[in-house]
Amino acid sequence: MTISLAIDTSTSRTVVGLLDGEKVLFEKNSEGATDHGRAVSDLVAQTLIYNPAPDQVVVGMGPGPFTGLRVGIAFARTFALSRGIPVIGVCSLDAIETGKNDYTVAIDARRKEIYWARYEGGKRVEGPSVNKPDEVSDFIIDLYPNVISLIKLAEEQSVSEPFYLRRPDAVPTAERS
Amino acid sequence: MSEPLVLGIETSCDETAIGIVRGRTLLANEIASSVEEHARFGGVVPEIASRAHLEVILPSIERAVKDAKISLKDLDAIAVTAGPGLVGALLVGTSSASGLAQGLGIPLYGVNHLAAHISVDYLTHDLPTDPTIALLVSGGHSSLLQVDDITGSITKLGATMDDAAGEAFDKIARILDLGFPGGPAIDRDARNGDPSAIDFPRGLTMKSDWQTRPYDFSFSGLKTAVARYIEQTPSHIRADVAASFQEAVVDVLLLKALAACEASGIDSLVIAGGVAANSRLREVATERCAKAGVRLRIPSPALCTDNGAMVAALGSLMLSAGRPATQGAFDADSSLQVERVSLA
Repeated sequence: MTISLAIDTSTSRTVVGLLDGEKVLFEKNSEGATDHGRAVSDLVAQTLIYNPAPDQVVVGMGPGPFTGLRVGIAFARTFALSRGIPVIGVCSLDAIETGKNDYTVAIDARRKEIYWARYEGGKRVEGPSVNKPDEVSDFIIDLYPNVISLIKLAEEQSVSEPFYLRRPDAVPTAERS
Repeated sequence: MSEPLVLGIETSCDETAIGIVRGRTLLANEIASSVEEHARFGGVVPEIASRAHLEVILPSIERAVKDAKISLKDLDAIAVTAGPGLVGALLVGTSSASGLAQGLGIPLYGVNHLAAHISVDYLTHDLPTDPTIALLVSGGHSSLLQVDDITGSITKLGATMDDAAGEAFDKIARILDLGFPGGPAIDRDARNGDPSAIDFPRGLTMKSDWQTRPYDFSFSGLKTAVARYIEQTPSHIRADVAASFQEAVVDVLLLKALAACEASGIDSLVIAGGVAANSRLREVATERCAKAGVRLRIPSPALCTDNGAMVAALGSLMLSAGRPATQGAFDADSSLQVERVSLA
């Protein structure tokens, strides 16, 4: 089976796992919204000590707070490059397990907004988008991407760019008053 | 071991830069800049810079490896700028470096951006440059340093109290409608002007300043003086203003750098950082150092601005000196002090 290294830094939790097919060989998380840099590096180092070498890297491409999100993607890409193995990007919201078929999931997008997506029959039918919580009905929040789901998604997705969903905050000089 | 092969990554501001050195030999220096995306905002926008880093860093690494005619597997170590700089921008570099180092199973050096600026000079000269006085001038930093050992012992003698020298260039260029970045624009315009046309103030050069803060800089008074002059002199000649402003900056930088050489008895000066690419600074520094009997070293203009070669150079020096690599996971440090050459 394919050995996969799964990484997700789209939420305040850094998720790292090593899987043989869909079987989890190693999984460890670290909490901390500003600690992704240290955490990814630390958790992957632990993964590599005990387990077989990965054949592919699967990484969550967000949406999620930008700085942390980029940490996981940057690490995944260069790790894969150095090993000569593929890196596959997937939508992080799709990897959140709710135990339901029809649902809306959301994660904190800061600035009193949420990143969210709506699913029917387990398939995404709306989003990912960013809105104020009162503009989205009936969403499940405070869950995190799951390593097995990340690996399953890699069979059908290949997301190459991060889901930023917001433009950078900046005002051109000419438009300043 | 033969001379170490080191790949360096620099992403502290708006340059995504990868350098590869073998010992002191530069093999590749790949730079992608997002400066044009920032121009219409009149300064670097951190989020735009961070996005650009992530977009181009992988292809930049691939190009550098190809240019250097090496394989990633040949590398002995990775070095990366750990700070100071924009934290979101730095993190793209440190995460990428960490991914490479772990993937390859080789040591990682998280190094200081400012020390790296100085160490790039080791790529152009065979002789050791320690000890030396170093004037580090860029868009984000203006410091005067004593370098006893580039891999471990740097002492800060002074720094700017307000704007960095490069920042002053950017602000004056904006007032003069010369665009962003201001350094090269003022340098060009000043060539047609008279540097002695207007006697702009030299910050912190009063007698009392020499007693209390001899090696600190201040450029905010100069900036105000230039703005007021332009306002009060509708018939001003732009090239004269640019040349006179530039002269005031150059004069005060060199006054203080050479005073530090004299006081410390160190007859060596390295000028590094983006402002060291300024042609007038290079010219006046050459004249004054010759007169003072101080050996001057300034990296080529291409190695003065942010680049990956300087990071690789410092990594290579650290490895050769037997300095310990950065242990385990580390965070980027946006306000890393110059005394910390690396995160060991």
